[in-house]
Amino acid sequence: MALSHFLLTGAVLLVLGLIGFMTRRNLIIMFLCTEMMFQGVVISLAGFSRFHLNDTGQTFVIFVLTIAAAEAALALGLIVLLFRHKQTLDAQVWAELRG
Amino acid sequence: MPEAIYIASVVGAIALYLMMPRHGYNPRTIGALLGAFTLGGFWLVAARQMPEAQQLGIAASGAPYYYIFSALAIGAAARVITHSKPVYAALWFVMVVLSSAGLLMILSAPFMAFAMVIVYAGAILVTYLFVIMLAAQAGGPESGGEVPEYDRVAREPAAAVVVGFVLLAALLSVAFLRMDPNPAATTNLATIRNVLTRRTAARYEKTLAPDQWTALESSILKPGELRNSERIGFDLFNSHPLGLELAGVILLVALVGAVVIARQQVSEPDGEDATT
Repeated sequence: MALSHFLLTGAVLLVLGLIGFMTRRNLIIMFLCTEMMFQGVVISLAGFSRFHLNDTGQTFVIFVLTIAAAEAALALGLIVLLFRHKQTLDAQVWAELRG
Repeated sequence: MPEAIYIASVVGAIALYLMMPRHGYNPRTIGALLGAFTLGGFWLVAARQMPEAQQLGIAASGAPYYYIFSALAIGAAARVITHSKPVYAALWFVMVVLSSAGLLMILSAPFMAFAMVIVYAGAILVTYLFVIMLAAQAGGPESGGEVPEYDRVAREPAAAVVVGFVLLAALLSVAFLRMDPNPAATTNLATIRNVLTRRTAARYEKTLAPDQWTALESSILKPGELRNSERIGFDLFNSHPLGLELAGVILLVALVGAVVIARQQVSEPDGEDATT
């Protein structure tokens, strides 16, 4: 098993999250796809940590997890607030930033 | 090798485009099969050209686990972004998290594996499911249980898929280059096994004795005798104390911010105020 295989999985997860973020219009699913980008990065970090036998890669995963949790909390709070304004989860209704 | 990457990216892009939700006939199964064959074919090509310098020291009996967990993760990720119902997308994402926890176990990172499952699948995803439940209840009875328009059709799938897979081809052409490990790391299997897995309890009695505190550092930080959780803990507190404090501050700020956001009053269309 080579490092490049784990980087392949991480890169595919990152790109799938990116495509999902650009493609979906549901606000919640868009943020779920950013979480998937984090997953891809986590796998790449763990692979590099194992390749160089350095623990900093895995320590950084803890920080990524922390930021992901904080971002998820704030994003979901914002989504609930936006939903209460327009009664829909469509991202397209916010396309014109007005008032 | 680069040709295999480019061909796999193009065919994978076509497969994912076929799987996107759209009006009318949805060739989802064809797209899924095409994507599975692309991934399998690329793995066959990559297995034959495995570079020697990138060996991770994983036993050959562990290789099937990588393929199984990767296939599960990629398949579940494709279903996350193409499923039209939000709850199912969140559940498929739980599958992605569990598969990546398996991959982390193969990489000798058990702490990361269970941290992923506990924090991601256990906390963040449950929060997502709560919000999906809260935010969808207004749309349910009016549309008669049908999926709303913005979930049923993908937005600009062709452009998104092209952009995404160009990025993937660039990433993979770098990932499959020759990489040399850190000179202090070795690829000797026996040394790797020593460094990554052994522990001894005798270390701890020694460190608690007060008259040995001058020898504390050398007695704790023997790399061959700590488990993964302990090594990460030492690395976190030794090398990244500022990052740890900042992470705590960020969590506090996020907590305060979430409470402030959730407490804002919004007047409902029927005239009543809505607060949490």
